[in-house]
Amino acid sequence: MENFINLILEPLKELFLKFKVFVPNLLAMLVILFIGILLALIIKRVLMRFLAAINFDSWSDRMGFTKIMRKGDMWNKPSSTLGLIVFWLLIVLTLMSGLNALQIPAIDQLVSQFFSYIPRFFSAAMILIVGYLFSGFISRAVLITAANSGFHYAKLLAEAVHTLLIVLILAMIMEQLQIAPSIVLAAFSIIFGGIVIALAIAFGVGGIDAARRIIEKEAMTKREDETKDEIEHI
Amino acid sequence: MKNTTFRTEVHEQLERIGQADIIVGIPSFNNARTIGHVVRAVQGGLAKYFPDHKAVIVNSDGGSSDGTSDVVHNSSIDDFNAILLHHRVSPVSKIVFPYSGIPGKGSAFRTIFEIAEVLVAKACAVVDSDLRSITPEWIELLLKPVLVGGYDYVSPLYHRHKFDGTITNSIVYPLTRALYGRRVRQPIGGDFGFSGSLAQYYLTKDVWQTDVARFGIDIWMTTTAIANGFKVTQSFLGAKIHDAKDPGADLSSMLYQVVSATFELMETYSGVWMPIRGTEPVPAFGFEYTVGLEPVNVNTARMLNTFREGLRNLGEIWLDILGAGDFSEVERLGALPDSEFHFPIGLWAQVVYDFALAFHKKILPAEHLIKSMTPLYVGKTASFILEAKDMGQTEADAEIEKLCLEFEKRKDYLVSNWK
Repeated sequence: MENFINLILEPLKELFLKFKVFVPNLLAMLVILFIGILLALIIKRVLMRFLAAINFDSWSDRMGFTKIMRKGDMWNKPSSTLGLIVFWLLIVLTLMSGLNALQIPAIDQLVSQFFSYIPRFFSAAMILIVGYLFSGFISRAVLITAANSGFHYAKLLAEAVHTLLIVLILAMIMEQLQIAPSIVLAAFSIIFGGIVIALAIAFGVGGIDAARRIIEKEAMTKREDETKDEIEHI
Repeated sequence: MKNTTFRTEVHEQLERIGQADIIVGIPSFNNARTIGHVVRAVQGGLAKYFPDHKAVIVNSDGGSSDGTSDVVHNSSIDDFNAILLHHRVSPVSKIVFPYSGIPGKGSAFRTIFEIAEVLVAKACAVVDSDLRSITPEWIELLLKPVLVGGYDYVSPLYHRHKFDGTITNSIVYPLTRALYGRRVRQPIGGDFGFSGSLAQYYLTKDVWQTDVARFGIDIWMTTTAIANGFKVTQSFLGAKIHDAKDPGADLSSMLYQVVSATFELMETYSGVWMPIRGTEPVPAFGFEYTVGLEPVNVNTARMLNTFREGLRNLGEIWLDILGAGDFSEVERLGALPDSEFHFPIGLWAQVVYDFALAFHKKILPAEHLIKSMTPLYVGKTASFILEAKDMGQTEADAEIEKLCLEFEKRKDYLVSNWK
């Protein structure tokens, strides 16, 4: 009889022991979550005040970030959006740290995978930000240079350069995030090669007349330019 | 020799010379074709007008590969009797060396200022090395106001074709005049006279690692002299004819260099120019005479096409800089046929002020901002050429005067929007 009772009590004892070990971990997780959420809220508020002080919203307007947000149907101020992004990043980090405190092997593995992914995520974010600024700068430089030389399709050329750079940057980001890298590489090569071939065919076959007109116009402009300006601007 | 470090041979030369009354600096870079004439004119001027003064000619070279330095060494007036009844006994010393520092005219000038300081010069002049029209009289006109008149800075006055110097006439002169209240007609002329004390003052400024060292030195010298209360005057030098510029030189790069230097100085001296209203004339030396100038070919149709293409392609950028009101005026100009095209002077003054404000508020990177102004400038220039084609020089000058008054009238707009 005693054996029978022991047989029943043993798993309960084990469960109780496991629960005794688990409770502090659970409490630790709850404390981590509480402090993490509190910190995230404070950091969000401080960050938003700092961004307001340095006129981040006007800077975003100038850099074209606001325009992109509006295109993506985001109507918050850029400073509040950045504050929200940082807040949710901190919440995710807090959640992962909290789950880690539970010391459950399956969750531990998930958490360590998450943390090993973070450097890739940040380098992808850096590529996105720097790449976006760089592509804007380059396409504007192309636009201004082409327009100053009187090129009729300056805007089109600048937009094409911008699109190509964005595609290149997106491919780099996907590769960095290890999202189907071989497919990304193949897709990028196909798209890039396709664009070049399409342009060649369009210009060489489909656009013979247009090409002739453009070349004739260029030649005419060159003939007109034979009357060189002799103004000394300075 | 303070903190100045010259090459050993220059150091030795300076120690041998010891002291000099006059320094004439000639910055150069691959000017072998023309610099010989400039050196001879300077030598002639020094011999004729300053025989009793100890003078040094300094050629500060940017590393020419065409033998410019050799030409300077070998150039001298063979027979002074051909131009003078009496000539100085002691020859003028020449210092020829490649300057060090950031490549550019500013670095070349800095070395000239340093030599002036070391030799305790009373008066200095700098002349371009590509001049074809320089005569010995230029040296007298640039140096005498300093040596005799007690002036610190002598700016040049030239006779130029009514269509030449359009960046000066439509931007730099009206803007500098309206800002600092002094009517210096050629603030970026390139040939200047200045006192030894002003050369020393220039050296105290920490600008030699900036764009001033590269290309902004002319407007920097003029503005620094005016804004810091130095005694400024002008000298009439006659016609300015120089070697044909590099045909590949890009207009927008030229505009960027000049305008960014001017806008940068607005930042430095905002405390000086903000309270100034109205302008006063700057005294001028020299006997003014008219000169025959060669006709200038201009293709206004192409210029107007550049303006319209600019409007079509850069419209969004201009809208951000000019605001809806002025931009709609510019848009209206884009629809006009060539024969009726007219860029109002009030609108142009407003455009220049709007770009200055955009530069101040850093709306775009400086180079993009100013280069995007090129089609507007080309449109304004075309408009002036169309209006002035049948005008004489006096009438064309009167048009520039009207533009300057417009800049002065609208200065309150600039001041009130400058935060």
